[in-house]
Amino acid sequence: MRLLGYIFSQTFRSIWRNKLSSFLSSLTTGFALFLLGISFLVSINLGFMYEMAETQMEIQAYMDKEATQTQLASAVSQIREIPGVAEVKFVSKEDALEELKEMFKDKASVLDSLEEDNPLPPSVRIKTAGAEHIPAVVEALQAFDIVDDVMYQEEVSRRLVQIGKAVQYLSLGGMLVVGLVSVMVIANSIRLTIDARRQEIGIMKLVGATDGFVMTPFLFEGVLLGFLGSAIGTGFAVWVYNWVAMKIAEFIPFMPIVGLDPDALWQMFGIMALTGVMVGLAGSAFSVRRHLRV
Amino acid sequence: MISFRNVSKVYNGNVKALDRVSLQIDKGEFVFIVGASGAGKSTLIKMMYREETPSSGQVFVLGKDLAKMRKREVPYLRRRIGVVFQDFKLLKDKNAWENVAFALEVTGTPRREVNRRVTQVLNMVGLLDRRNAFPNELSGGEQQRIAIARALVRNPDILLADEPSGNLDPETAMEIFAILERVNLYGTTVVVATHAHDIVDNLRKRVVELRDGAIVRDERRGAYHY
Repeated sequence: MRLLGYIFSQTFRSIWRNKLSSFLSSLTTGFALFLLGISFLVSINLGFMYEMAETQMEIQAYMDKEATQTQLASAVSQIREIPGVAEVKFVSKEDALEELKEMFKDKASVLDSLEEDNPLPPSVRIKTAGAEHIPAVVEALQAFDIVDDVMYQEEVSRRLVQIGKAVQYLSLGGMLVVGLVSVMVIANSIRLTIDARRQEIGIMKLVGATDGFVMTPFLFEGVLLGFLGSAIGTGFAVWVYNWVAMKIAEFIPFMPIVGLDPDALWQMFGIMALTGVMVGLAGSAFSVRRHLRV
Repeated sequence: MISFRNVSKVYNGNVKALDRVSLQIDKGEFVFIVGASGAGKSTLIKMMYREETPSSGQVFVLGKDLAKMRKREVPYLRRRIGVVFQDFKLLKDKNAWENVAFALEVTGTPRREVNRRVTQVLNMVGLLDRRNAFPNELSGGEQQRIAIARALVRNPDILLADEPSGNLDPETAMEIFAILERVNLYGTTVVVATHAHDIVDNLRKRVVELRDGAIVRDERRGAYHY
């Protein structure tokens, strides 16, 4: 118990003594872990998107805005005849606006101005009998003059998955680089502590303190810096994620974004804290080996 | 207690600090190591608490072969050996009491035991009433007495002193040696490397003289010079 108390008090004293360096180490580690967190969050969303892509194989055919009711009605009945089509649902301009309002709910008033001059195109939503029919159906739809644009979930998902993967690789690569930098920065912070306490260390060894006893406060200091970094990184990642999710919900309402529930947050913080502690331990172990000569 | 067998120490391949030294120190002895600066006194002392290891030959302390001793065993050897230096090596941000207690705390001694031992040993060096003073508030002699208290707080089998009076005036030096002599009376083996002629001549203890790393004299009741 006394030993533990000694280690804690030593650690907090030296972190306080090297405030700036300690802060910088935690911040750098925090940044590395922020990138890890972003990668983690992106991967949660990727998984979610794969699921979406599998369950919702809906094709949306956006029709010409100027098309008349009869033109649209005949197009719908022709679409029903395309082989592989299982379900067809017509969405009028008005329906589309209603859906949009439903999506925004409390912010629906901003859409009021659209009532007079509705810019949304009418569309047809098609479900196929299976994923294998999608390419042929899409091709058939594109042949219609009245069809402006064809989008289907799988295509959207595939693109999003690609973007997501790119983000993930970038952030993981960045994390490795910044992670290495944080190991070095923590190592340096620990070196400052070791330098400040060199005489004390010398006396400790002289009077028979074990190497473990001499080293532990330094290792603990590194671990603590790494842990602080993980808290900074998690906080920052969650903040950025929520901000981006909000922006996306605002501009691309149909894009699915996973909300962060407490379970996911804890899981993420767990991974981050573990990584932070390892980075801290690596940094302090490096410095202790190099500068403590135990 | 301490035994050197044909010990040599070579630094950087050619500087010879010790040259085939053989020396036997028994339990309860008081030994002066004398000789000019650079004669190898400090190296000899350092080998006794395994701060240095021999380039060749064997060093036995408290029954252990120090050359073969594993690094993790060294702390346990040092807990049985007190060491005192010319520059005291006290921690400036700790007061007298804390400096002495530190030696027990870093080995996880229970607080009650620490209090008991520190009181005892500060009393022995006559500085219990100065226990709250910081090193910069203490005279050189007082600082050295605190350092001796720290070296003794664990009740060591051996007390090593490397020029303990090097920074002190002759009168204060005499006080320090009086304490070392008293420690020796209680049964602790004392080895002192020193330049203090008068004291060596006065105390008439065993004197080992080093010259260029080799033992040139070992007298039972010797003086600083022949």
